[in-house]
Amino acid sequence: MEAIWLYQFRLIVIGDSTVGKSCLIRRFTEGRFAQVSDPTVGVDFFSRLVEIEPGKRIKLQIWDTAGQERFRSITRAYYRNSVGGLLLFDITNRRSFQNVHEWLEETKVHVQPYQIVFVLVGHKCDLDTQRQVTRHEAEKLAAAYGMKYIETSARDAINVEKAFTDLTRDIYELVKRGEISIQEGWEGVKSGFVPNVVHSSEEVIKSERRCLC
Amino acid sequence: MSDKDATETSAVTEAAPILKDGNCESAEKPENKSQPVASTRKRPETNPSRDLEASQIPAQVPQDAAKETVSKDAPQTGWGYWGSWGKSLLSSASATVATVGQGISNVIEKAETSLGIPSPTEISTEVKQAAGETNASENESSPVAGPFGMLSTISTAVQSTGKSVISGGLDALEFIGKKTMDVIAEGDPGFKRTKGLMTRSTLSQVLREVKDKEEQSPSNEVTMETDKKTHYGLLFDEFQGLSHLEALEMLSRESEIKVKSILSSLSGEELQTTRLELEQLKEAFSLAEFCEDEEEERQGDEEFTKEITELFAQLHVSSRPEKLARARNTAYEWIRTSLARPVTEKEEGEKQLETENTEEVKRSSIEDIHAFAIRSLAELTACSIELFHKTAALVLHGQKQEVTALERSQMLSQLTVMLCKDLGSLSKEFTTCLTTAGVREKADVLNPLITAVFLEASNSASYIQDAFQLLLPVLQISLIESKTESPRGEPPAQNLLTEH
Repeated sequence: MEAIWLYQFRLIVIGDSTVGKSCLIRRFTEGRFAQVSDPTVGVDFFSRLVEIEPGKRIKLQIWDTAGQERFRSITRAYYRNSVGGLLLFDITNRRSFQNVHEWLEETKVHVQPYQIVFVLVGHKCDLDTQRQVTRHEAEKLAAAYGMKYIETSARDAINVEKAFTDLTRDIYELVKRGEISIQEGWEGVKSGFVPNVVHSSEEVIKSERRCLC
Repeated sequence: MSDKDATETSAVTEAAPILKDGNCESAEKPENKSQPVASTRKRPETNPSRDLEASQIPAQVPQDAAKETVSKDAPQTGWGYWGSWGKSLLSSASATVATVGQGISNVIEKAETSLGIPSPTEISTEVKQAAGETNASENESSPVAGPFGMLSTISTAVQSTGKSVISGGLDALEFIGKKTMDVIAEGDPGFKRTKGLMTRSTLSQVLREVKDKEEQSPSNEVTMETDKKTHYGLLFDEFQGLSHLEALEMLSRESEIKVKSILSSLSGEELQTTRLELEQLKEAFSLAEFCEDEEEERQGDEEFTKEITELFAQLHVSSRPEKLARARNTAYEWIRTSLARPVTEKEEGEKQLETENTEEVKRSSIEDIHAFAIRSLAELTACSIELFHKTAALVLHGQKQEVTALERSQMLSQLTVMLCKDLGSLSKEFTTCLTTAGVREKADVLNPLITAVFLEASNSASYIQDAFQLLLPVLQISLIESKTESPRGEPPAQNLLTEH
């Protein structure tokens, strides 16, 4: 019964142009790495099932956004319905790290009245020799915003699974504790279909969602 | 089957094999001969009174419908006829079945000969008798799932009229389309939502609700896995078609609002010229009627890839149709291999050795073909809608190009026609595959599968046409913006934005 999942989470992937958002997602959803890829136009869509505990699956709908400024008006529209996000920068590109702050400000404005659980991702960690951002400073920045930090490489398939599943687990915990709840008119978290199992009670209790960012 | 002596019927035969049989075996319908023949390939215009009659007295349908086909002139047919969004799904669905019927006649003919189905005259009497039994068989459920999850209903209708499908050819199919829609209209809550299309709720909403319902319905628990393989809606979503459609709708809606607000700020001559230009754009969006040319061969793989790539190059959007072309060519490749297979089996004379085993193999193979057909249609549609979505994003936010909104509209219109035609021929090939593989299948096994493929093909075509219509406001706003960005007073022809 592969098609059955407990919840569906919508995740958004943001960050400067060319930091490798699409490559990371493709590695995660298709298991492939493309040496050459076109810049994303507007927004792209991917999905994958993740097993967070034996028998407990979550369907991830992943929104891949264009990093290019000209598509910003399109990508902005997608913050609101996301429960989680991966904020990427390129460890070999200092500028993309400096822009992390702006990305967070941008989301803050557009996600209202909801919140997004973010993880900060230092991408292209296979290119360690060209590193311009140290792990230490990235961790510091992440901590300042209450985010986790992880370094990944789509090319060498390092930490790609972990980045997505850790985030999914964190969101799942929040859902279980009732800190995030399914709401009418909000697409971030949706209930899936579980055969012969009564949905856990947390869905019924509506409580305030806490921001992790 | 000596139809050669009836000269006037030769043209009819192609479109409606049933008439051929009728004429040569009993010659009981002399009125057919005096009727214009050219229109038989087209779908008769909807006749509400006949629909009513048809659904009430199913037994009479094969004859009535056959007459209608020949006598009705139907100028508005083809995929384009039911393409506009304003049209209800009801009409598109029934049109669907009919359009598809152009191709199905061959298939039916094959099925008919191979199955040794009796002549329509015999059938019509049988049907009368069978009408009484209909209720009993209606409860049989079929493994076919459809878009909106309504095919289970549809297949029931197909089953209960199973015999007339074979005998009546495209007319019976059309009847089934109507009958089905009646059934759905009465009993299917999903359809009521679908009907919401008439009140302009968005396509993606309708599709999503139905898909969600399908995913969550506990009654599907057991059959979920098999259903999923043939459930168009779920597959369409799996290929991200729904998401791209929603994204496109969003861009379309935003553009529409912008166009309105700009128009309300204009006045006098400026308003007049703008209105005029927008009108021209709109004309490019009313799809020219495209009947499938009888002799027109489907395009070869390279040909298709080349043409679609060229169209996209002319559009001047950086998005490329490779994904679509690849998916499309993969589908055709699969059909070629699949068609080659059963023939070899026969030549080797294996059927004599292990009849039961061979049948086993064949049975699974028609299900495979059906599943692959539905999957391909869902994938191609999703790819097409993705292309439209990307086009919209690039028209709105891409680099300015040396191509006018009007030119782009015309190319997109061409593209839409091309995509829908290709879906039409693809579905024909799939059904040829089905009939070839299922020569020895019973009609009530084979027919629902064939119907499902055609139904989904026509649904696919209507989604693509819908998606195309969503581009209109996008191109309108692009036209308006190109005007305001260029120097005033120049004639529109020089409004090409050469630089930026």
